[in-house]
Amino acid sequence: MSATGIGASVRRKEDFRFITGKGQYTDDVNRHGQAHAAFLRSPHAHAEIIRIDAAAALAMPGVVAVFTGDDLAADKIGGLICGWMIHSKDGEAMKAGGHPALAQGKVRYVGDHVAVVIAETLSQAKDAAERIVVDYRVLPAVVATSDALKPGAPVVHEVAPDNAVYRWAIGNEGETQAAFAKAAHVTKIDLVNNRLVPNPMEPRAAVGDYDSGQDAFTLYTTSQNPHVARLVLSAFIGIAPEHKLRVIAPDVGGGFGSKIFIYAEETVCVWAAKKVGRPVKWTSDRTEAFLADAHGRDHVTHAEMALDDKGRILGLRVHTTANLGAYLSTFSSSVPTYLYAPLLSGQYAIPAIYCEVDAVYTNTAPVDAYRGAGRPEATFVIERLVEVAARETGSDPAQFRRKNFVKSFPHQTPVIMCYDAGNYTAALEKALEMADYRNVGKRKRESERRGLLRGVGISAYIEACGIAPSAAVGSLGAGVGLWESAEVRVNPIGTVEILTGSHSHGQGHETTFAQLVSERLGIPIDNVSIVHGDTDKVQMGMGTYGSRSGAVGMSAIVKALDKIEAKAKKVAGYCLEASDQDIEFRDGKFTVRGTDKEIDFASVALQAYIAHKFNGQDLEPGLKESAFWDPTNFTFPAGVHICEVEIDPATGVTHVDRWTAVDDFGEVINPMIVEGQVHGGIAQGIGQALLEGAVYDAAGQLVTASYMDYSMPRAEDLPNYRIGMTQTRCPSNPLGIKGCGEAGAIAAPPAVINAITDALGHEDIAMPATPQRVWRAVQKMAPKLAAE
Amino acid sequence: MAMTMKGAVALPAEREVVWAKLNDPEVLKACIPGCQSLDKTSDTSFTAVVKLKVGPVGATFKGSVELTDLDPPNSYRISGQGEGGVAGFAKGGARVELTDPPEGEPGCTLNYDVEANVGGKIAQLGARLIDGVAKKTADQFFANFAAAVRAG
Amino acid sequence: MTAVSMVVNGKTVSKDIDPRTLLVQFLRDDLRLTGTHVGCDTTQCGCCVVHVDGLAVKSCTALAIQFEGSQVTTIEGLANGADLHPMQAAFREHHGLQCGFCTPGMIMMAVDIVRRKGNDLDDKTIREELEGNICRCTGYHNIVKAIHAGAEAMGGLSKAAE
Ligand code: FES
Ligand code: FES
Repeated sequence: MSATGIGASVRRKEDFRFITGKGQYTDDVNRHGQAHAAFLRSPHAHAEIIRIDAAAALAMPGVVAVFTGDDLAADKIGGLICGWMIHSKDGEAMKAGGHPALAQGKVRYVGDHVAVVIAETLSQAKDAAERIVVDYRVLPAVVATSDALKPGAPVVHEVAPDNAVYRWAIGNEGETQAAFAKAAHVTKIDLVNNRLVPNPMEPRAAVGDYDSGQDAFTLYTTSQNPHVARLVLSAFIGIAPEHKLRVIAPDVGGGFGSKIFIYAEETVCVWAAKKVGRPVKWTSDRTEAFLADAHGRDHVTHAEMALDDKGRILGLRVHTTANLGAYLSTFSSSVPTYLYAPLLSGQYAIPAIYCEVDAVYTNTAPVDAYRGAGRPEATFVIERLVEVAARETGSDPAQFRRKNFVKSFPHQTPVIMCYDAGNYTAALEKALEMADYRNVGKRKRESERRGLLRGVGISAYIEACGIAPSAAVGSLGAGVGLWESAEVRVNPIGTVEILTGSHSHGQGHETTFAQLVSERLGIPIDNVSIVHGDTDKVQMGMGTYGSRSGAVGMSAIVKALDKIEAKAKKVAGYCLEASDQDIEFRDGKFTVRGTDKEIDFASVALQAYIAHKFNGQDLEPGLKESAFWDPTNFTFPAGVHICEVEIDPATGVTHVDRWTAVDDFGEVINPMIVEGQVHGGIAQGIGQALLEGAVYDAAGQLVTASYMDYSMPRAEDLPNYRIGMTQTRCPSNPLGIKGCGEAGAIAAPPAVINAITDALGHEDIAMPATPQRVWRAVQKMAPKLAAE
Repeated sequence: MAMTMKGAVALPAEREVVWAKLNDPEVLKACIPGCQSLDKTSDTSFTAVVKLKVGPVGATFKGSVELTDLDPPNSYRISGQGEGGVAGFAKGGARVELTDPPEGEPGCTLNYDVEANVGGKIAQLGARLIDGVAKKTADQFFANFAAAVRAG
Repeated sequence: MTAVSMVVNGKTVSKDIDPRTLLVQFLRDDLRLTGTHVGCDTTQCGCCVVHVDGLAVKSCTALAIQFEGSQVTTIEGLANGADLHPMQAAFREHHGLQCGFCTPGMIMMAVDIVRRKGNDLDDKTIREELEGNICRCTGYHNIVKAIHAGAEAMGGLSKAAE
């Protein structure tokens, strides 16, 4: 392993600009002559718009324009789309209600976009927005997930008179019924997977620009996938054809899913730039982010597990109601279906699974993918079920898992997925060892002596990453292919630019991708630069989400590097007067097999461009190649996290005392960065379990709309993490990578709740397990324990 | 964000006098905290402009005030709603009833039963403060009103 | 418009500004020092921390005109030319950042923690002192490590200077 190659914890190349304040985020972009946009948002959860009077606003100082939904409609700007078609079990297509970027006739959640004011300064735009008078006819709202399907509930979209977007199912109902019929024991649980707000620290922002000379638009925006944004803005929303629209996602301050989607504000800014003839800038404030960024999770689930008399799992039956909010966001329909239910088998060999999902509209913000997207929800179901089943049948939770693990690969589950490689027992044993599981009893007694309750919780998760084979996702309803592309440009002096469709917003691609290239071409890592996030520079791309940049994005680079090597060998052959068949390439040098003739990579690059040594008819000059990579399967990272909590029964405060994570991510390029991803994921998972929850009141007002009321995990809330790894190579990509970005967020919530319920001795606690809830749960403990 | 509150104030005047003041826009305007204007549009309805501040959010609400369920000189319902633009909306109402004072005391007793509702930014940023603000606003109104009655 | 003048990163700047301009807007929009970030609107996240006359200040919650005549240091002014401040170097060395958005505020706060609490910091102190700074990416583990190391390095430097 070289100091900067695969497997080395290379310090990040991108850090210099961030630690010196030289990062370029979207809000740092200022275009000459730009005006500022402020959005007027609905204060009502559900209302008809009778009239919008903008006269007073237009008369305010500095106001350039005020636009409403009518103006977009007049320009034939289409609504926002949902790109994944789901069919109900009766075959009916999902019911997608219209989603105009600015409301037309109706608002459907607090924060819905009513009008935009464009003014010389942001203060002027905001002041003028105050002067717009809107007559609303307020309608009753449906807010709670569990209320949406009730007869007589207010209707969010006419196309879905019962508020059901779809009623979907997966698995084999008959076989599952049979499994339950012969069960010796059935474990049943009811779960709520709490609604979260993703909250990347950089709020969304957009700068739209229009060049009338070229009749071309540029949109700078906080996007995880600029090419997809361009595709949607062009092909579906109708801003401009793709060759007349450039989307640039510069440095992006975190995404966690919420910056995948194509939102109203970005659409309006780029459209309005032409309308007003000058660049238009908008930056979300935090409260707007709470209101209008797509939220995550929000499931209500009943789940049952059938066991035989030896404690082996026979079957799984799950019913979930998933709240998709007031409109279908870009990928929202896929999250509680194909990203969720196919993972319900967890790490276990379960012969029969049947899952039904009803997705519903409510008068709340749209819900879409948030770190893990569907897989945390699935893991919460299976890992809570397994834990409760183990407790109910009197077996040790670790032993119960061990007994039911998938042990041979490939393993076909009853719900689509074919697990290709793994060693679940190895990760469990290592985690138990690192967590000193053996001595938990001792630590519990120690805690007890201090008047505290200690609990331990295990979570064995699996995820499907690299979201992946295009044909496979196409057959499941995806509107796009999920390959990735790369271009490798070797410059005449031997430096290299990698143009990738993967986007980095904290993941460190500029370092890990460069490590791959440095090792492969035998050149210093500083001679490699990674270019991403600009549709004019990068040929094509599907972006970064679903832990796909390593497995899919880097695989595309490998393919392009293969082509580079093949071509460079030909050039080297001409230079060394040998057949390219006899050329070997190692450590940055081309040699002729069996001789001492050699030429280094930089010289070959130069020769490729000078083109003096060969005839242009025999070999094209230059050294630049591109590739698209479409994998053959999802990847299946898996691991075991063990959490130990201490609860103060007097206050209900839960302190996370120990955290052990053992993950199998396949091949790891940069362990430092991978561990960082795990840390961040765990923090978000602990946040979901203990602190975070978006709360709407009965009228649909979001009462957790700032950091005063939405509890973000802070340094004091979290422990240090012990991180370990096991490794089985992923067989479906050339690097053997599985992906690591979501693991922590997927594994953590059930680990925490399993630990809390272990401490309490009963299962009755909901997320977030706030001190108030835990204190109440303590009061419900068995009398003997409570008396202690 | 909804909240409710109830209360009673003793007023040193006869029911008819109090009733007249409860229907006098000038008196109401002087008593509603933050009221900038209150203009009669019919015998029982007004347009109003009220300035309200909840925690970090301050806004001017424009809207209407309506008197319903009139039972002179005993009771009515006063309700109002206003849009505060970016700050959101506020609406609320109170059932106001005049009853005999406790034995041996002069004047009458004004009983009120208020419910109020806010939405938009004012709910998003001021959620935890709203109960307090609503109570304070109601208290202040009835204190002002008692003072107006006392002043004759 | 009101005239305001202060020393930012060692340079005297004077501008006419709207009196309601926040310090962070003054730095970002008027001076184009975009290293100082805005992550919230309720003084909770610390993305906007700068030093004013040596003390950490959340620049999103103060008016620029309050600081007439003050010495302001932003993240752009922390390094000594090409030499990184030891706290900056520690954040890179210990992978104390991912997306980098919270990082300027974190580093400015970390330097302030060292000023107040000294160079020998334990984890508990660091975590407590970070109560006003949110990071969504790192889970804090490596930020704590970085501040620990940065604090030590700052101590080494000031000892060397004695
Ligand atoms: S931006 Fe200043 S504390 Fe959040
Ligand atoms: S590094 Fe992204 S918020 Fe801290």
